[in-house]
Amino acid sequence: MDFYQIIISSVLAATVLLGISMMSRVRTAVAGNFLSAVALLTGIGVTLLFAGIITVWTLWVAIATGALIGSLLAQRVKMIQMPQMVALFNGLGGGASALVGMMTLKGSMLNVECLMFNVAAALLAIAVGMVTLVGSLVAAGKLHRVLPQRPLVWKGHTAVTLLLLAVTVAGIVLGTLNAQWPSPFRGSEEGVCQLSIIIVAAASSLFGLYFSVRVGGADMPITISLLNSLSGVAGSIAGMAIGDVFLVAVGGIVGASGLLLTQIMCRAMNRSLLRILLPQGVNSSTVNSQQSTVNSQLEQRVMDLEKRIQELEAIVTKLEERVQKLQDREQSTPPLEGAGRGSAQSSSSVLSSAKDVIIVPGYGMALAQAQHQVRQLADKLESRGARVRFAIHPVAGRMPGHMNVLLAEADVDYEKLYEMDAINDDFAKTDAVVVVGASDVLNPAARNAEGTPIYGMPVLNVDEAPEVIICNYDLKPGYAGVDNPLYTRPHGIHLELGDAKETLTRLIAQIG
Amino acid sequence: MIHPLILIAVFVVSTVLGYFIIRTVPSLLHTPLMSGMNALSGVTIVGAIGATGIAFLSGDGWGAQVAGMAAIILAAVNVFGGFGVTHRMLMMFRKKKSEKLKKLTGVIGS
Repeated sequence: MDFYQIIISSVLAATVLLGISMMSRVRTAVAGNFLSAVALLTGIGVTLLFAGIITVWTLWVAIATGALIGSLLAQRVKMIQMPQMVALFNGLGGGASALVGMMTLKGSMLNVECLMFNVAAALLAIAVGMVTLVGSLVAAGKLHRVLPQRPLVWKGHTAVTLLLLAVTVAGIVLGTLNAQWPSPFRGSEEGVCQLSIIIVAAASSLFGLYFSVRVGGADMPITISLLNSLSGVAGSIAGMAIGDVFLVAVGGIVGASGLLLTQIMCRAMNRSLLRILLPQGVNSSTVNSQQSTVNSQLEQRVMDLEKRIQELEAIVTKLEERVQKLQDREQSTPPLEGAGRGSAQSSSSVLSSAKDVIIVPGYGMALAQAQHQVRQLADKLESRGARVRFAIHPVAGRMPGHMNVLLAEADVDYEKLYEMDAINDDFAKTDAVVVVGASDVLNPAARNAEGTPIYGMPVLNVDEAPEVIICNYDLKPGYAGVDNPLYTRPHGIHLELGDAKETLTRLIAQIG
Repeated sequence: MIHPLILIAVFVVSTVLGYFIIRTVPSLLHTPLMSGMNALSGVTIVGAIGATGIAFLSGDGWGAQVAGMAAIILAAVNVFGGFGVTHRMLMMFRKKKSEKLKKLTGVIGS
């Protein structure tokens, strides 16, 4: 049975790999995803069959319940909520792996031949799984804005983090020793086993909390990729604990994928993983608790205000639509919103005459949910004969490929989306650039402002363009906190501040 | 029971193969890739089903059974939700065939 199991698992794992390789092209990606799903479902069926548990009906109930919830979530989620969705799913996978680890230790699945390996793997699965679960929940909370977005640093953060890691390791060692050489624990093996599970689960959960709570909003692409990797590794280790080849293989693939994405994100931000996960020395230790409580109160108020603003904005948008309709009817009347905004006129005239335009979207576009307006602008410009392309920085947004998904949602042809390296030389040759909610990824200071967080980070060469129209909410520096010298360039800068949705709607109307 | 060394070898091989295959995915598709991987990380459902099934058959305590059911549900949400979301996203990258559909998704999206 072992032999067949290995063969079938290898074939299924290879099918999963094939499915993934098909995801490298848009044309084959849908089929690739489908293939991976089929391989996974087959794997579930094979497990049911081989373990001789296909008749246990309660299992089917559990699977159906999860499938129903999952499918509903997948259908209902808005594209704008995708980062927190991904984070949440990561956490669920990790949590399930941790539970598998616990069951292996508590149940009758322990393998007496290689007990030590078994127990160590099960405890490790609990540890990695719980870190993934708690870390992901915190990340999802931050992305969903129920938790403050900025990094939270608690008293003795680094020390506590390292201590928790040490306790986790100690718990694993304790449990493993207890299984292999029970003599010192004679009579209380069961209790020690239970204790080690509790120690590992508690310490690793706290570790997950400590490490993800100090990650700020803009570092989220890295954190999510890392958690993605961890959720795979947790599954793989759980697979080792129960001796399932398919689980080990697929978990390994997921782990590799997450690691690769983490690496790409780190390179694109010019940051090392350690600097994000561990506090940056002096800076953090000077933050006292009083300050942080004041900050968190402020944060709360800001969040409340933001909510209120969003509600008001929705009303304003509706009103503006009505105004727009009325204006369309009465064409001789000049645009109402344009009054008193001198720069708007010039922005629209720049765009009216431009033959080659590059649009640079950022997280601000996601916040304002302005992707549909961005597409309308592109359509408008194209209908006037201009060539429109989109320049996508690898870390624009809150997860890898965030901008691409949002623009795809708005039906922008993916062939118009260019990676940074493919389009960076073209900024100098273009007529105009429209920046929508992006700051750090085009900050020329990254090239020469030594000592700032963004120094050395590859940026889009927006500053080489003759005319730049900036549709940002305000002129505050981006997440990195470094002023953008581009905003104060004496020529060819058109600032269109405020909500990107409104700004773009106005611009589109003005281009005529 | 499969020997631990075989399991570790499988882990190493699949990680390395995965790494090189995934490198060919362009950044354009990184979000669908990640959510697809996300769904795959729910593969732990295989372990959950196996462990829970045995817990039921061998009449382990209700604690193990409840934990097992919870693990299966969590992992199933992960698998079905993950693949569903990935599918939805990938369909958006395809050019829309009918203008009607385009308008419809536009309305829902905004």
